[in-house]
Amino acid sequence: MTANFRRSLRQALTVARRDFVATVFTPTFLIFLLSPLLTIAFGAAGGLGASTVAQGASARERLVVIAPGATAPGFLVADKRLRAAFDHGDGPAPLRLETPAADPAAQARSFIEGRNGDVDAVLYGSLTQPRILYSRGGKSDADYLALLADDVLRAQHLMPGAPVSSPTKTRIQRTQITVAGHGTAAMFAVIAIFILTLFLAGLTLGTMAEERSNKVIEVLAAAVPLESVFFGKLIGMFGVALLFVGFWGTIASQVAGILPSGAAAAIATIAPAVGKPMFAVLFLLYFIMSYLLIGTIYLTLGAQASTQRELQLIALPMTIVQMAMVGLGTAAAGAPGSTIARVAELFPFSSPMAMAAHAANSPDLWPHALALVWQGLWVALLIAFGARWFRRGVLQSGGGQRRRRALAPGG
Amino acid sequence: MSQSLAIVADGLVKTFGDRRVVDGVNIAVPTGMVYGVLGPNGAGKTTTLRMLLGIVEPDEGRRVLLGHDRPREVTDRIGYLPEERGLYPAMKAREAIAFMGALRGLPWAEGRRRAVTLLDEAGLGHAVDTKVRKLSKGMAQLVQLLGSVVHQPDLLVLDEPFSGLDPVNQEGLERLIRREQARGATVLFSTHVMAHAERLCDRLAIIAGGKRRFEGTVADARGTLPMQAHYTPERDDPSLAALLPADARHNGREWIFPVPDGEIEPMLQRLIQSGHGIAGLSIERPGLHDAFVRIVGQQGPDGTGSDIGAEMPR
Repeated sequence: MTANFRRSLRQALTVARRDFVATVFTPTFLIFLLSPLLTIAFGAAGGLGASTVAQGASARERLVVIAPGATAPGFLVADKRLRAAFDHGDGPAPLRLETPAADPAAQARSFIEGRNGDVDAVLYGSLTQPRILYSRGGKSDADYLALLADDVLRAQHLMPGAPVSSPTKTRIQRTQITVAGHGTAAMFAVIAIFILTLFLAGLTLGTMAEERSNKVIEVLAAAVPLESVFFGKLIGMFGVALLFVGFWGTIASQVAGILPSGAAAAIATIAPAVGKPMFAVLFLLYFIMSYLLIGTIYLTLGAQASTQRELQLIALPMTIVQMAMVGLGTAAAGAPGSTIARVAELFPFSSPMAMAAHAANSPDLWPHALALVWQGLWVALLIAFGARWFRRGVLQSGGGQRRRRALAPGG
Repeated sequence: MSQSLAIVADGLVKTFGDRRVVDGVNIAVPTGMVYGVLGPNGAGKTTTLRMLLGIVEPDEGRRVLLGHDRPREVTDRIGYLPEERGLYPAMKAREAIAFMGALRGLPWAEGRRRAVTLLDEAGLGHAVDTKVRKLSKGMAQLVQLLGSVVHQPDLLVLDEPFSGLDPVNQEGLERLIRREQARGATVLFSTHVMAHAERLCDRLAIIAGGKRRFEGTVADARGTLPMQAHYTPERDDPSLAALLPADARHNGREWIFPVPDGEIEPMLQRLIQSGHGIAGLSIERPGLHDAFVRIVGQQGPDGTGSDIGAEMPR
């Protein structure tokens, strides 16, 4: 580490510390910290996301019946007849028939625990004493399979005193990750990063305006490279963001009921492909990258603004840009490996969300190393560009043609 | 000249739009000196200082600060008071000073400790924990000034440091500058108030129209003008005017006229022999103010003018 780098880092941290203290130790910070209480939309957005996730997940689920060829057609007929009783969309998951293997019990268990099966319930054995395995949340599916077996049995013995079906239902604890769990994790990551970034990156928007209005900018510019000023401000506001996330994260972890029921259920089914600990690490890293990328844009544009009105004008298009990015992110989460997912993963401003979704959908870790380097490169580029633009436009250096009153040439 | 130079500016040029604000300025400041950059409003002083410090980059020319041609490498050894004063209003005086020290590499705790001492010495001990927004303009300016010296810089650059201060605080600032020099620091300050420069500067440069017009000591600057006689005769009549130089001015009973070097004795003999008597007579060099007015006044309407003074030490 060179002396110049160490000095720049130290100076950036000095600026960060000033900004953090100046932001946090004020009465208005309390209003900011507690603002989610007033923002019912947060809960609504969470519930909406969870609902979408749940629908997406259920579309991939299957029911399996392991039955010999002679019985199989009867199941299909019964399934068709019983399914007709449900409204469209409310019916059980699609039914799949499988031929019995040498050990149907092991076969059934493998379906439940299978990595890509997303099978919630499996029926095997005889019609009079069917055995049904089901996973967590698959109780109603198990009931449906029992009903199905009973219906097939009744169809075969249309006479009084015919045997009745006596099913045995066993709940199985899944040990493998499912595609539905991947999808839940992916969507959760995209939405959570989006909401946090939307809420927190805007903090950087007006920070340079403060230095300009107080005329402190020249003191800073003489002592500290503008890149360090920009980076310091990002770090300072990121500290504020972490405080905010930590505060609400702690409350959420202690008060489970604070989450909307849909969101709580969706979070419970999270099963990222890279595993939960690694997913948590990657989620944090991608949140940081998303914050830095969007925060740098806010900071750069805000540094050019001279008035509060200009700051307000900048905020709206930035929000729209973020909405577009979450669109790309959710598309990537819903269609892993697709072209749109690749585009979202490569485009710097949607990349953190899309790559967090990638972590949920795919176990490979090396793409994340590349993505983090790629995103970090863009952060550095944006900071350098923002500082250069500020220097040319506001400090009137480097042959810029624009004239600003902030530091007009004088005696 | 073997003395080391704290600052070298060689042919600095800066253009904003179509306006050449600084046009080939040369400055050399020996280490340990108090050096003044003088000039009228809009002369290019501030832009020159900003280029020296690396706040703005020169379009042409070279600058060396404390032996480095990249000012950014020595920022921790420099203190700077900009012309446009600026502090964070919500900061306490002690914190504001410590913050400026921290930007230059001084640990916060040490900065706070020194801030208390500096504020006490400046007569602001009562304002240590007062927020900047509650300080008067002059007090806030002093706080910023103390912030520029809290890390004990090797080079102190002050842009119009006296403006906005009352006479008492101006005197305090002069003491602070002398103290910094005694500590071993080089001090460069800009001003258009000649009295401060005359009292403080070991050397000075006069800039006008973006160009350097003069470089040398205060005595050198004053030496650009002839001695000035202030003569009050006992009996004034029209015949006296014929004895005096053509450019002699009459101010009440007093006559004011230049006396070229070597002309003092003949002039005195003429006055004595004329029989007008001598009620009062003083012959002295004009002050820096007059020299400044003359040097800056030589500037042509197109901004041209000659550079007077000693060769820049290298």
